[in-house]
Amino acid sequence: MSEAHLTMGAHTAPPMEAPPFAIPSKKLAMWLFIMSDVMTFAACVAAYAFLRNAAPEWPRPFHSVTNVAIMTIIMIASSATMLIASRAARAADKAGAFRWMLITAAAGFVFTLLHIRDWMGMMSQGVGLLQNPWGPAAFGAAFYSITGFSLLHISGGTIALFVVAIRYQGGRYNADDIEIVNIFWQFVGLVWLFIVPVVYLMNVAR
Amino acid sequence: MASAEGQGQQQGIGKYAVVYVCLLVVMAVQFFIGYRNIEGSQLVVRMLTFAVIETILVVLFLMNLGSEKRVFVKFVVFFTLFVLATMNYIWTDSFRLLLFRLTGFGPS
Repeated sequence: MSEAHLTMGAHTAPPMEAPPFAIPSKKLAMWLFIMSDVMTFAACVAAYAFLRNAAPEWPRPFHSVTNVAIMTIIMIASSATMLIASRAARAADKAGAFRWMLITAAAGFVFTLLHIRDWMGMMSQGVGLLQNPWGPAAFGAAFYSITGFSLLHISGGTIALFVVAIRYQGGRYNADDIEIVNIFWQFVGLVWLFIVPVVYLMNVAR
Repeated sequence: MASAEGQGQQQGIGKYAVVYVCLLVVMAVQFFIGYRNIEGSQLVVRMLTFAVIETILVVLFLMNLGSEKRVFVKFVVFFTLFVLATMNYIWTDSFRLLLFRLTGFGPS
């Protein structure tokens, strides 16, 4: 064995560079992802705002937003259950964290179903990507792209919640990983809280 | 020690309960405004004001950005706001297009 090997063997772990901003690298990666995602959502909303402002007559098709109100309550409730899961994981309550994460994932699943129901209602009124019965053809494309991007995040987040919960239960993930999922889930909830006024409440039929 | 920890947890839960009540109230106000007969820029300003309040509550308390290091908070807030602000270049062209559609005048 060479002297170099012997010297390296004396040190069990090589010196590591401190993570930027003194926060765990996984959490920093999630924040950077969220910042880039904010920009993608902002681009969608900016495109929607451009089209809506430039159209002399923009459709106001939402006679009732009861379904949207239920979806919003479910999203806020799931945000609370995810927070409880994250706190339970911090307190080393593994069973509690697992249970609350599954409840959050179930809420995400119900939200996804209600979202699909909302889309089917719009489709039954003749709203497609390139046509709708009320006027500006871009309405359908703008509506489906913004809500679809949100739906993609929420359904993806639901799957991620299931996977992380099972791996946390199996001991492969720890409380830090639950905290990272919590940040993502709160973010998708926040995006929905922006979509509701911009897409639905500003277009309630009068 | 244990009771102090429990008291701390209770305070934490109380803080989150207040945040959730605020979120629900702000959301209810938004739904109320949506059904009122408010038009144009007034509607946009009110809706976005409440959406910004919700954003601050969620980001600071539920995403726990408020408990991170100050330099990281500055990095996230300034960088994101800068990009969002620069996206507002769309408005001039949007109004130009609206004017053109309404009057038929102006550059196509």
